[in-house]
Amino acid sequence: MTEEQQLEQLRHLFLSAPESDSARVIAIVLSLALVVTVLWMVRRRILREEYTPIWVGIAFAVTIVSIRADLLLALTRAIGAWTSSSTLFALGEFALLLICLNYAARLSKQSTQIKNLAQELALLRARVEHPVGSQGPPPA
Amino acid sequence: MSEAVLIIPAYGEAETLGRVLAEVDRALTGYEVVVVDDGSQDATASIAEAAGARVIRHPFNLGYGAALQTGYKYALQRGASLVVQMDADGQHDPREIPRLAAPVVAGECDLMVGSRFLEATGYRHGFLRALGRQLFRGLARLAGLRVSDPTSGFQAMNLEVLKVYTQNFFPADYPDVDVLLAAYRHGLRVAECPVHMKPGVRSSTLHAGLRPVYYAYKMILSTWSASASGRRAG
Repeated sequence: MTEEQQLEQLRHLFLSAPESDSARVIAIVLSLALVVTVLWMVRRRILREEYTPIWVGIAFAVTIVSIRADLLLALTRAIGAWTSSSTLFALGEFALLLICLNYAARLSKQSTQIKNLAQELALLRARVEHPVGSQGPPPA
Repeated sequence: MSEAVLIIPAYGEAETLGRVLAEVDRALTGYEVVVVDDGSQDATASIAEAAGARVIRHPFNLGYGAALQTGYKYALQRGASLVVQMDADGQHDPREIPRLAAPVVAGECDLMVGSRFLEATGYRHGFLRALGRQLFRGLARLAGLRVSDPTSGFQAMNLEVLKVYTQNFFPADYPDVDVLLAAYRHGLRVAECPVHMKPGVRSSTLHAGLRPVYYAYKMILSTWSASASGRRAG
């Protein structure tokens, strides 16, 4: 048997290994805990409602793949991975990257808004303290 | 009524600003001098006020570009027909402002950049800055704009340029060749005239640590962005 065939056999063994019920239960519990934490944070006004869909969505996705492990297994086979957990890890990492990008975009927008507000405040304060054409300082 | 406004962005320039404003007072008439204090912790604002300048104070430090843009916004609100910008560290000579502004006033160009390198003025800067200048010149040239001093902060402009520079794309930190390019892409006429500049009295934080690397990276990105946005008219 060649090395390649041995590896393929090993991968097949990994993929056909029975899923652990305890791992599934832990995943479901963690997903529910995430949803509860999100709802608690919204109730305590720590998290605004518009930022919750992404976290609820992630919790929902984890719950689905925990209940329907066959879906994750099919995806694992399709992408050539060895274990469902590595597929889940890769998906999670990609989701976190997308979330970071989303927040960077929001941050960029808010930086511009804050800058515009600060400039507007400075201009208004100058106008109030030294109205143009009445009490302003003399030109150079 | 058309106005001429001189914008001087200042952050922690108490050491040099008084002398700069005195030089401006001696050299210029008919300009409203606006000092934009970018959240200084020293006496910058009070020195500017004592010198008779109009002072616009940012509530906190926003950056050199944002301070300039606040000045542009003020000038735009005033309906200024001419705006000149110069630095507060004493490297720009206000006696050169009339010569810098004349082509803008005459309608020969929309934006005039004071260049240290059009003529042999004896101005020298370090290897990294020279390298950066060549890089930005090359980037501008790729986009169709020929400038010898793309990092000059000594400029004169008209109302049309103000309308472009008060838009949200204008960087809060370091506006350089990217904004020149944006003006150019908006169909505005960019020109240069030779000026003398002294080295800044104070060392710039822009050239400390890894900032030059970030600056070069950011400028490449924003130059690409500026060249992709807008469409060159004419």
